[in-house]
Amino acid sequence: MSVLTFDNVTVTAKIGQRRIDVLRDLSFTLGQNEIIGLVGESGAGKSMIGRTVSGLLPDNFSVTSGDVLFNGQSLLALSRTERRALLGRKIAFIPQEPLSALNPVRTIGAQFDEHLRHLGIDRARRHALMIERLEQVQLRNAAEALQRYPHELSGGQCQRVLIAMAFAGAPMLVVADEPTTALDVMTQARIVRLIAEQQAAHQTALLFITHDLRLAGHVCGNVGVMYAGDMVEYGPAGAVLKEPSHPYTRSLLAAMPQLTGPRRVLPALADNMPGIGSFATLPGCRFAPRCVVKDPVCAGTRLPQRPVGEGHWVRCSEQCAAGAALAEGALLPPPAIDMAAKEPAVAFDNVRLSYHAARGFLGLKTSQFDAVKDATFKIREGEIVGIVGESGSGKTSIGRLIVGLEQPSAGTIRIEGEDYVQDGRIIHLTRRDTQLIFQDPQSALNPRRSVLRLLTQALETGDSYQPESARRPFAENLLKDIGLPPDCLDRFPSQLSGGQRQRVNIGRALGAKPRLVVADEIVSGLDVSVQAHILNCLLDLNRQHGLTIIFISHDLAVVRYLCSRILMMHSGEIVEEGATETVFANPRHPYTKALLDAVPPENSDQPWPPVLQ
Amino acid sequence: MSDTVSTPVAATAAPLVKPAARTPSPVMEAFRSAIRSPKVVVGGIIVLVVTICALFAPQIAPNDPDNQDLINMLLPPMWAEGGDAQYPFGTDSLGRCIFSQMIYGARVALEVGFGAAVGAMLLGTALALLAGYFGGWIDRIISHFVDLWMSLPPVVLSLTLMVGFGTGVGNVILAIVLVDWTRFCRVVRSDVMVVARRDFVSAAKLLGFGHTRIILREILPGVAPLIITLFTLQIGIGVIVEAILSFVGMSVPADVPAWGKMIAGARNYMYQAPWGMMLPIIAIFVTVLGFNLLGEGLRVTLDPRLRKRSV
Amino acid sequence: MFKALINVAARRFVGAIPTILLLSIVVFFVLRALPADPLAMMLPPNATQADAEAVRHALGLDRSIVIQYLIWLGDALRGDLGTSISFREPVTRLIANSLPATLELSAAGLLLALVISIPGGLLLYGARGTLFENILDVLVVCMVSIPAFLWAIFLMLGFGVTLGWLPFSGRVDPGIAIPAGGTGFLLIDYFFTFQFGYWQNALSHLVLPALALALGFSPLVIRVLRSSLLEASDDHYVEVARQRGLSERQIILKHMLRNSALPTITLIGAQFGFLFGGTLLVETIFSYPGIGNLMVQAVRNHDLPLIQGIALVFCVTTLLINTVVDVLYVVLNPKLRRA
Repeated sequence: MSVLTFDNVTVTAKIGQRRIDVLRDLSFTLGQNEIIGLVGESGAGKSMIGRTVSGLLPDNFSVTSGDVLFNGQSLLALSRTERRALLGRKIAFIPQEPLSALNPVRTIGAQFDEHLRHLGIDRARRHALMIERLEQVQLRNAAEALQRYPHELSGGQCQRVLIAMAFAGAPMLVVADEPTTALDVMTQARIVRLIAEQQAAHQTALLFITHDLRLAGHVCGNVGVMYAGDMVEYGPAGAVLKEPSHPYTRSLLAAMPQLTGPRRVLPALADNMPGIGSFATLPGCRFAPRCVVKDPVCAGTRLPQRPVGEGHWVRCSEQCAAGAALAEGALLPPPAIDMAAKEPAVAFDNVRLSYHAARGFLGLKTSQFDAVKDATFKIREGEIVGIVGESGSGKTSIGRLIVGLEQPSAGTIRIEGEDYVQDGRIIHLTRRDTQLIFQDPQSALNPRRSVLRLLTQALETGDSYQPESARRPFAENLLKDIGLPPDCLDRFPSQLSGGQRQRVNIGRALGAKPRLVVADEIVSGLDVSVQAHILNCLLDLNRQHGLTIIFISHDLAVVRYLCSRILMMHSGEIVEEGATETVFANPRHPYTKALLDAVPPENSDQPWPPVLQ
Repeated sequence: MSDTVSTPVAATAAPLVKPAARTPSPVMEAFRSAIRSPKVVVGGIIVLVVTICALFAPQIAPNDPDNQDLINMLLPPMWAEGGDAQYPFGTDSLGRCIFSQMIYGARVALEVGFGAAVGAMLLGTALALLAGYFGGWIDRIISHFVDLWMSLPPVVLSLTLMVGFGTGVGNVILAIVLVDWTRFCRVVRSDVMVVARRDFVSAAKLLGFGHTRIILREILPGVAPLIITLFTLQIGIGVIVEAILSFVGMSVPADVPAWGKMIAGARNYMYQAPWGMMLPIIAIFVTVLGFNLLGEGLRVTLDPRLRKRSV
Repeated sequence: MFKALINVAARRFVGAIPTILLLSIVVFFVLRALPADPLAMMLPPNATQADAEAVRHALGLDRSIVIQYLIWLGDALRGDLGTSISFREPVTRLIANSLPATLELSAAGLLLALVISIPGGLLLYGARGTLFENILDVLVVCMVSIPAFLWAIFLMLGFGVTLGWLPFSGRVDPGIAIPAGGTGFLLIDYFFTFQFGYWQNALSHLVLPALALALGFSPLVIRVLRSSLLEASDDHYVEVARQRGLSERQIILKHMLRNSALPTITLIGAQFGFLFGGTLLVETIFSYPGIGNLMVQAVRNHDLPLIQGIALVFCVTTLLINTVVDVLYVVLNPKLRRA
């Protein structure tokens, strides 16, 4: 018997005067002891599905057709109170962003206890049960952890607690809403393994929501691909990943950088996934505007589900499937490195960056924290070097040291052979040769400046000063480099999409005509095709202008696509260095090995997640 | 009047907006939504009315507020028994027209309110920008100074200053500025610190922009909405402080009408002539309400809207 | 945790000393160094030059300002704040007699403010999205526009004069003896000497002035409570708690209020001076014999020693309250506890 059934469910939002279908005709069945993955990029509607199950849709959203059945009983027919009685007990959730998912001013123990009380477990048994459950999720020092507050635990530890709480009531259904998105790669592997173990132990039905198709392929039995509120493809994980039938699924898989195999140019789709505002203009297939095959029928008609294999269907027309195969991208040429240059563009020599914090009585004592320890390396002009590490490894600090936003506590930095400080001033700041592309465009773009003024900011003072009249042509040229249309110039950041903002961010850094840019996690959190666009854009800039790029990231596949050489960082130290292919093929440092093992492989047949310490 | 519900289906891939003829800047957008807010409209009207009273007092008021008509002392309002049409709301213990005093009192209230708000804004904002942007020892000194200043209850400090300064509108303005700049400073400073930590400020530094340029071009526009809101609210506070000071007799010289003074005087005749207190009380309440509504309405439209749109 | 608490308290304490010193300097110099001549205000109109000189010498006004300040400071540290010109009594004694009354009134005012604003804030939050919210919102804005002294007048006219329900003058009915040698807090003194009739009398006299203070202060607290509840409602952990099946009521009481307490306490600490300063006019209007009332009289009489003394006491009291608030904040905010 099925545990959860979505039967042609449509969720409609009432925004202003308009009614917009944010989920359309959604159907799938989840049986006992089954795992289904719901995969989609941000805005595809996957979190709406979780909210439909919990009944916690926002006020102006409602289910307008179809039904949601839990154990054969309609969830929608239940009253609020009856629905609420199921939550936490028979239907449990594992949330995203575990660090902020618990009340920061109450102890873990208090919150777990409250949950157990809600489950109806009497006081005498609660404490022992908490310890037992926490040990089951491999939380070390369980008794001590109960006394702690959420901010005293790591993201992974918090998530273990949340998993323990979710399974505490022996639920029949668990909805895991992007449970590992905010976690480091290695922690992600551990947590996914934990969830799989708990699911197997309790024989629970699991709905696993994620944006990572490869991850879903390894964990789930069946996978459903979401796009703009529609489920466009559904089938067994192996089938969907090896023989994707929908053009969107194919382009999604093609645009993901690979850790193995030859490096080819990633095909990037134009535009973005439509937002809610555009749904009204797309009555039929919402992917049609971006589809490789331009069949005029698709855009206007609601396409039915069409079977393409055993338990595998796709919402696409017959014609499309035939011509949807994507051509292979050309092989990537190696970067243009200027071997003739005498001095390296950047040279670090035993650089240390320490922070001091006041502690103790009246703040008299200080403690020291080393963000970067003893870093030594060289970067040549025209190279694309990757700095890889997890959060807290020191990679961002190195980036800031390179551009001059931080000064080393010890050691020397040379920019093109010259000491970074001359005549008491940091030379980066006067020469503008090195620029930083900040991670978060929200924070990096002044919301009060138009795109034009953002791109030409470098022309407002200093050596590259140009009067207002000359600025627009300059900006138009720059737009070509970053691949944005000219009508963007008079818009403001709040009127652009996430991918467009990131491109303006890059353009802003390029406006100063630097010789070297540091890109700090600029593609994390972006949709796959937008990410591909930006990576290709960086490659073009490197080829055409000889721009030296230092690319900071935690994503190994992305780094492999872009960078010829990489530095692996862990806890402030550079643990391994070398040509990308060499390091990935023969990692020497145990940390590098562990990191490589923790990434979900492209081939869904390969075993994953590994057992990590 | 409550904030609009934001749609949680986070469309980070926001629709590619086909631009209208001219896409409006955030400032224009804010202005337009401000006009549509009922608080702003009502508050604005009240402020306008009070300003007109102050500016055109000689034309509006039926009598000279200083004129003591000793025959007609403690007259009730004109609709009550014994009232006189010449004095619409009656007279005080010295025979002066209450209504006219109220109208003229708006002058002092607005002069003080506006003058003090400008002064507090300039002083508080300047120091807040310095403290929030530079941080370090500059911030420590200024913050210490602010903490120090705020250790005395504002009323106590302003009274003390007035004893030292002596009466007069200019002195009242000075006293209020010296007391209230700290509130401006503290609030604006936290906002400046938030803005200064944003990456676009670091980006400007990387372009070699000097400090002055960054503060004026990048940071100040970011905190401008907050400053406008605080300014409006400060005017209301100034009106209240002036009323308190003139109640105690430490505000304006004896021949200048002020609302607080009217209340203090009428208090002695509370039993016989309670109407003497009603008018100045209503005047204070309505004026402060007007500025508060305006300030509240501006705060909602100027700030959170801008923040929400950036999501 | 205690280490962190002592740390905070000690830091405040150490920081408070220069603050008090600096403020005393400011107050002193403002009163003496500025145009208004202290002497002219103190002498009767027909004083002769010799009289003026005599008074000047007696008050030490013929010495330099700095010396005058140091003398005053030295005396103050020994507990001698000079003699009041208008009352001709030691300032210290005058203050000691009136301070408990104001503290009692302020405490009652703060308590009443909490009683009004916590349910008020919850109500305003609970009404979100409904039409009722707009009405309440306007109501709060109106309340903010009425300062404490106007409330005082309303209450006095309404409940005191017109309805006659509550007394509106003094701390107790004339004729009732104030126990000597007690704490000065009437509610405590009468209670522990079992004079319950008098206790009730004192309480009834406290109601209107405390209510005036409370009404002036509550809208600020209501606002910050409501906005922090609104923010908390959008917080991730609240959403997760809902997913666990907890009822809205449980979530508000057990989770959101605890978090909202923090910014609320910060506000109360920051604005306490506002509440405290309100006692000046409220006490005057209700003829309540506290230091606020005393201050107003001192100001009207240009009684410099008294003004200085009271300003100093206000300053010290406010700093003490700020220290208590800081300590309380550390107690409630676990992120600060392991200092």
